[in-house]
Amino acid sequence: MIYIEQTNPMQLLCIEKERKIDATLLTGLICGALLGFVMQRGRFCLTGGFRDMYIAKDNRMFYALLIAIAVQSVGVYTLIQLGVIEFSAGTFPWIAVIVGSFIFGIGIVLAGGCATGTWYRAGEGLLGSWIALFGYMLMSAIMKSGPLLPVNNSIQSFQFSNNSIAETTGLPVWVFIAIFVAIVIGIVMKEQRKPKVMIPTMRQRRTGLAHLLFEKRWHPFFTALLIGLIAILAWPLSEATGRMAGLGITTPSANILQFLVTGDQSILNWGVFLVIGIFLGSFIAAKASREFRFRMPDAKTSMTSFIGGIIMGFGASLAGGCSIGNGLVMTAMMTWQGWVALLFMILGTWTASYFVFVRPNLKKKSVANNQTILNT
Amino acid sequence: MKKTLDVLGQVCPFPLVEAKEIIEEISSGDELVIQFDCTQATESLPRWAAEAGHTVTNFEQIGEATWTITVQKK
Repeated sequence: MIYIEQTNPMQLLCIEKERKIDATLLTGLICGALLGFVMQRGRFCLTGGFRDMYIAKDNRMFYALLIAIAVQSVGVYTLIQLGVIEFSAGTFPWIAVIVGSFIFGIGIVLAGGCATGTWYRAGEGLLGSWIALFGYMLMSAIMKSGPLLPVNNSIQSFQFSNNSIAETTGLPVWVFIAIFVAIVIGIVMKEQRKPKVMIPTMRQRRTGLAHLLFEKRWHPFFTALLIGLIAILAWPLSEATGRMAGLGITTPSANILQFLVTGDQSILNWGVFLVIGIFLGSFIAAKASREFRFRMPDAKTSMTSFIGGIIMGFGASLAGGCSIGNGLVMTAMMTWQGWVALLFMILGTWTASYFVFVRPNLKKKSVANNQTILNT
Repeated sequence: MKKTLDVLGQVCPFPLVEAKEIIEEISSGDELVIQFDCTQATESLPRWAAEAGHTVTNFEQIGEATWTITVQKK
């Protein structure tokens, strides 16, 4: 009798688990597909955005990111207030966040896209992004459950006990959200007042919904608004499956590889389906817009992408997040981790941009100048 | 005169970096035809041309993920 009573709850637990996996699969895939679709159509590239702040003195994509953060922050804290979701900021492993984010910033320039960017570009058929993605997944798994786990853990052990900006300062979180939202509204108004340059567009071939979805150029700020809304949606959907977080890319990417080599189904959480969804959503968007094609880079670019992916995986695992997990989500949650990570990943991007884009150009120019002097 | 820049297979920001370089080599009124397949360049190339004051005389998709843009130097 006792024996039966002991087995029954176990069986129930199994059924419960299976049911959860089903729900996980569906909502994660849908949320990811929306994100991949929007990012592909909106050409939402954070690597390009951070890079262009420096090499083109163009802040538009960075401002777009700030809009997405603001939208998410208001939405998620409203949900927390209403008791729909839970959030705990945890501790702030500051050295790991600073060093990891800076390294991540270097990696994304070499890989030609951040973690999410690489996922969605893989969906466009860019094989260089498949290569970068493999390096990224591999290194993330090595850092999270492989031989570099002790290194990762020891660097992450330097922590401040408070990660929440509100808790550290003793002020309500809404104060910070209000200030931030005001700043973002100010930026948007200033940007809209700038004299408009007529940007040439391609001749319209489609009409109605097909034109809006698969042809029209999306304004980065509109794309950012959608991304903010998807980021809000991710919280309740993910938490319903027991994963207490919002959008995240690095851990789920590592999880895919961990699952493939261990066969352990418990690794397959909502996040795994989210990243697979990004790939599928981007593929659907690209295919329908006639923007999908397998494209193979040359050997040198392939190597750079692979190394970039490895560096990106190392940095993101150390920092506990990528440009989405830290840069978009932890910033919106008003944590030290998010904002410090964002600052240092931008600095990393600029450092790598100097060596990859600025310096070679300067060299070329100085050679050209020398030649002119010699000729005259 | 027309000059063609083929940056098929190159990812951003290289199509733009090369376009900026090559346009220095042609004279005012000449055209630069850029063939590219980096999706993000459909945004960055026309933006650059417009902001730099050049004229875009042709901009179209010529196949699956392949585009051409013609920029006439100011």
